[in-house]
Amino acid sequence: MSDSEASNFSDAEASGSERGSPVSNRSRQSSVESRGSRRSVSRSRSRSGSRSGSEAREASDGERVEEEQEPEGDSLHDSEEYDSEEDESDSGHRRKRKKKDRYGGFIIDEAEVDDEVEDEDEWEDGAQEIGIVGNEVDELGPTAREIEGRRRGTNLWDSQKEHEIEEYLRKKYADDGAAARHFGDGGEEMSDEITQQTLLPGVKDPNLWMVKCRIGEEKATVLLLMRKFLAYQNTNEPLQIKSVVAPEGVKGYIYIEAYKQPHVKASIENVGNLRMGLWKQQMVPIKEMTDVLRVVKEQTGLKSKQWVRLKRGLYKDDIAQVDYFDMAQNQVHLKLLPRIDYTRLRGALRTTQSESDAEKRKKKRRPPSKPFDPEAIRAIGGEVTSDGDFLIFEGNRYSRKGFLYKNFTLSAVIVDGVKPTLAELERFEEQPEGIDLELPTEKEDKALTHTFSAGDNVEVCEGELINLRGRIVTIDGNMITVMPKHDDLKDALIFQASELKKYFSMGDHVKVLSGRYEGDTGLIVRVENNRVVLISDLTMHEMEILPKDLQLCTDMASGVDSLGKFEWGDLVNLDSETVGVIVRLERENFHILNMHGKVVECRPSSLQKRRLNRFTAALDSFRNNLHRKDMVKVIDGPHSGFAGEIKHLYRNFAFLHSLEYLQNGGIFVCKTKHLQLAGGNKTAPAMEVTTNMEFMSPRRSSPMHPSGGGGGGGGGGFGTPRGGGHGRVTRQRDLIGSTIKITRGPYKGNIGIVKDATQSTARIELHTSCQTISVDKNHIADVGTPTRDPGSTSYGRTPAYSGSQTPLYRDSGNKTPMADAGSRTPLHYGSMTPLHDGSRTPNAHSEWDPTASNTYPSPGYNPSTPGYQMNGPYTPQTPGTMFNESGYSPYQPSPGYQSVVSTPSPATGYSQSPSSNNPYNTPSTGYSPNMPYNPQTPGANLEVLPMTDWHTIDIEVRIRDSHDDQGLVGQTGVIRSISGSMCSVFLPEEDRVVTIMCDHLDPVQPQRGDIFKVIIGEEREAIGELLSFDSQEGIVKFKNKITLLPLSHLCKMRKPDD
Amino acid sequence: MFYHISLEHEILLHPQYFGPQLLEKVKTKLYTEVEGTCTGKYGFVIAVTTIDSIGAGLILPGQGFVIYPVKYKAIVFRPFKGEVLDAVVRQVNKVGMFAEIGPLSCFISHHSIPAEMEFCPNVNPQCYKTKDEDVVIHAEGEIRLKIVGTRVDATGIFAIGTLMDDYLGLISN
Repeated sequence: MSDSEASNFSDAEASGSERGSPVSNRSRQSSVESRGSRRSVSRSRSRSGSRSGSEAREASDGERVEEEQEPEGDSLHDSEEYDSEEDESDSGHRRKRKKKDRYGGFIIDEAEVDDEVEDEDEWEDGAQEIGIVGNEVDELGPTAREIEGRRRGTNLWDSQKEHEIEEYLRKKYADDGAAARHFGDGGEEMSDEITQQTLLPGVKDPNLWMVKCRIGEEKATVLLLMRKFLAYQNTNEPLQIKSVVAPEGVKGYIYIEAYKQPHVKASIENVGNLRMGLWKQQMVPIKEMTDVLRVVKEQTGLKSKQWVRLKRGLYKDDIAQVDYFDMAQNQVHLKLLPRIDYTRLRGALRTTQSESDAEKRKKKRRPPSKPFDPEAIRAIGGEVTSDGDFLIFEGNRYSRKGFLYKNFTLSAVIVDGVKPTLAELERFEEQPEGIDLELPTEKEDKALTHTFSAGDNVEVCEGELINLRGRIVTIDGNMITVMPKHDDLKDALIFQASELKKYFSMGDHVKVLSGRYEGDTGLIVRVENNRVVLISDLTMHEMEILPKDLQLCTDMASGVDSLGKFEWGDLVNLDSETVGVIVRLERENFHILNMHGKVVECRPSSLQKRRLNRFTAALDSFRNNLHRKDMVKVIDGPHSGFAGEIKHLYRNFAFLHSLEYLQNGGIFVCKTKHLQLAGGNKTAPAMEVTTNMEFMSPRRSSPMHPSGGGGGGGGGGFGTPRGGGHGRVTRQRDLIGSTIKITRGPYKGNIGIVKDATQSTARIELHTSCQTISVDKNHIADVGTPTRDPGSTSYGRTPAYSGSQTPLYRDSGNKTPMADAGSRTPLHYGSMTPLHDGSRTPNAHSEWDPTASNTYPSPGYNPSTPGYQMNGPYTPQTPGTMFNESGYSPYQPSPGYQSVVSTPSPATGYSQSPSSNNPYNTPSTGYSPNMPYNPQTPGANLEVLPMTDWHTIDIEVRIRDSHDDQGLVGQTGVIRSISGSMCSVFLPEEDRVVTIMCDHLDPVQPQRGDIFKVIIGEEREAIGELLSFDSQEGIVKFKNKITLLPLSHLCKMRKPDD
Repeated sequence: MFYHISLEHEILLHPQYFGPQLLEKVKTKLYTEVEGTCTGKYGFVIAVTTIDSIGAGLILPGQGFVIYPVKYKAIVFRPFKGEVLDAVVRQVNKVGMFAEIGPLSCFISHHSIPAEMEFCPNVNPQCYKTKDEDVVIHAEGEIRLKIVGTRVDATGIFAIGTLMDDYLGLISN
């Protein structure tokens, strides 16, 4: 029962029970007041007793008047037991009374003041008291009005002296400051606390008894008790209770104020609602009595716009917003997203079968929560009616925005500690309902501890000082002292935690206190109403956080998880095969970049930290040793172009950290052979590379290689079977057993077999003279086993070809048993020195095992590829200038080969790239743009046009005479699209589109005034206009700049539509 | 902001340098040790201008090393919140751009780039530009920015900046 209700109740009671009823079961309020009045009576007597003589006389007059009323009060008085202790048989104790009065009859008992009727004697002899009482009234102000009203009626109305009455009334109804004035007159100040203290109940006051009551019937019971009291009032056994209270918010109990338990029992007898309380009534300790009726602001109710969660039912755990709260009904009207099963047919469309289906379905799953869609409802036969702003479907009301508005009992919702997630907020906020939505979420639930801490910047979000900003000085529970940042406010102010919210400004360095990013720190880059965007220090990614989850801080996140076991950037084992680096620590799980470049989320428990090994080393593309903390440059692969520091090495993977790389906090993974040590030895490779056959073949086949001139063909053959790029074969031994030719030095021209090879030199057993010499590895070239039988020649070449191609290709080439059978006779094997064979690792050997080869599909096995076989006819087209030896060149222009070359497959870039030493060239782009020379394209040699994918759409091309269809040769067309190595070329002359291998196309150079596209170089794809040109260079105009470009980098462009 | 201030530093010198060139060595060591460093309080030490005094060396017992307290003046660069600086764009991406102000790297979030400037990932080089291409900011471009926040850690200062103010943005020459 609220206070107002309580007072209403007491009013009603007062009128019902006639004034002056001694046992009035007043409301608690009045009884407390009366208690207060008693107290202050005694107190103030001592103070002001002397000064109110005249008033006292007046009062005694009044008292006499009161006496006349005695009979009425008397009958009641007789029946009163509770005050018998103090004032029983007043008449008989008059002496005693007087005595008491002398010490200051100030110890006037409750009953005396409260129940005016029995006090005739006291009023009589303590004449001066009346005046005091009068003062008292003033001091207490309106709180004692009720009692005084009664008294006034008795003792003043009949008073003869009108001016007295007037004065009395003036005092009584003077402003609330009366008390203060009084005390002010007396030269004293009375603090609020002390005056409040006096109002508290003491041992002499009646007790409160807590009585169990049927839930929900509390108020009715109180009213019933009141009626009961009235009914018994004039009987022999009136109820001797003081008041009955049912505070709002207390369920299942009422409080009865009485002096004794039997009084309580008597009153609750035969009251059905209180049956269960009949046996046990609990007394409220005096100290806690005030708490019973403490009015807690808003505690009992839910605030509108507050977030709640549903406890059960279809909407279990769903977030909902309070629309309004009906205290009386104990119901709360919620706004939430409906879960309607749009698959279940309704209305006319419904069938029994679908019904049963629906039943089954219902058990299985619940429909997703999404805004109400009237169209969908109509589609399934449901009927949607409209009611004002609402749509009604199946008895539920839906707003136009698709929210369900529904009543729930309070017991069905969780109120405390509901924190909507950002996602949930968004779902509610996507509807433009304005800003007020956000406020409730902003405020902390009072029950929860707030997250403020001293030093926080806060803003007042409630009350008069709204929008005032300040800094927290101290925190005491929920009371927060804030030093305002305001020119006129110099003193610290105290606020409730709920009245404050944090605010941040851009550039603040903050820490995340809770949520997904807990523990992270960052700089704020944007502040919105209910959202703060910050950039994490550690990972440089953006985070969106609620301001309440943030706190100013100066230190940086360490990136250590809660247990301290893992750290950001640690190398961990995901399973026995894969490792990864922690790129983000979240509260529950880690984000781990595994060695394949994928980010996976893992729980910390499933991870195993790898011990750091300082000596882990790997080789970069130039065979430099790489260690942790080395700075490297990525020269190939998906991350080509980045530079960074090696964080971890694992096998041939390196985890790098680069500030410029944005994802994963700058960590990415590369193969070590895509790296180049910063400041590493770049010239050495030519020397070192030769130690390794797998690195060698591409280099050898490239014209750049020193041996290119003399032994180019041989170079191609250098990647012979044993060269084969078996990375797992012991590298030093790759060369051993191969037949080579010495290309430089005094032994130039000699042929021999490599007996041993070290980093830089090879021991060669010369064929001619029976001697073994040491030769610089740079000075030897494989001759493609010219001494072997004829079969082996072709064989030797085949793998050579494959050696420079994709691993698969090469592998298959190497491994096909056919090759073995065809090219090698047992005799051949026999002719080899045991060392030769022995030099191979078992691995390598097994590859020659026909049985093992089954595991490798060999679709591209070369000797039988048409490309190879068919190359004869095209021989004339091959200038063979470069590969003037060993019949290598005829092979190249063959369509089969060409196709391989021109595909964007790794092989292409590979064999062409002089700069790369990577035999395992994975499909990649951007390899060859700088390729100054193209051995595979005879035509290109003249045109200086790199054999790269210069092809792009919308450019004009001429079909080269290498194309099969002679009818098309020489025609020009426009590339419409490119897929792989095939270009769709639109031929305006024939008005049709033909598909032509890229290699058969040449770009058409633009003429003056033509629009062109850049096909090579950094500006590739740029479109411009050719202003003029001389022999090599063209003056070109891009959008707004004029520059010079080599003509060969340009291609005439034609829009497909013109 | 640049300051010319007095600072102190202790040089730990190996006994091998004890000789006629000792003080020279102390000086060169000071230069190498101090220039280019960064402290949270004073910012980046750009250059040592004068060496005021080299105190008496103190031999560390048992080691033979000598500690020389050196007082010197240096030009330091200390960025402040609210300061407007010219910077060179180092990298542009969708979350914003990184710029360098000498030794200080500064991040400008896309939230802090005027809304009319949009990120164009498909242009080479990637850039932020206005619709009418009046203003195009790409890597290597020079911009004027305002620092809105700094993060100081043991070895460096990191700043975030904004272009959302008058006269900020591309510096057109």
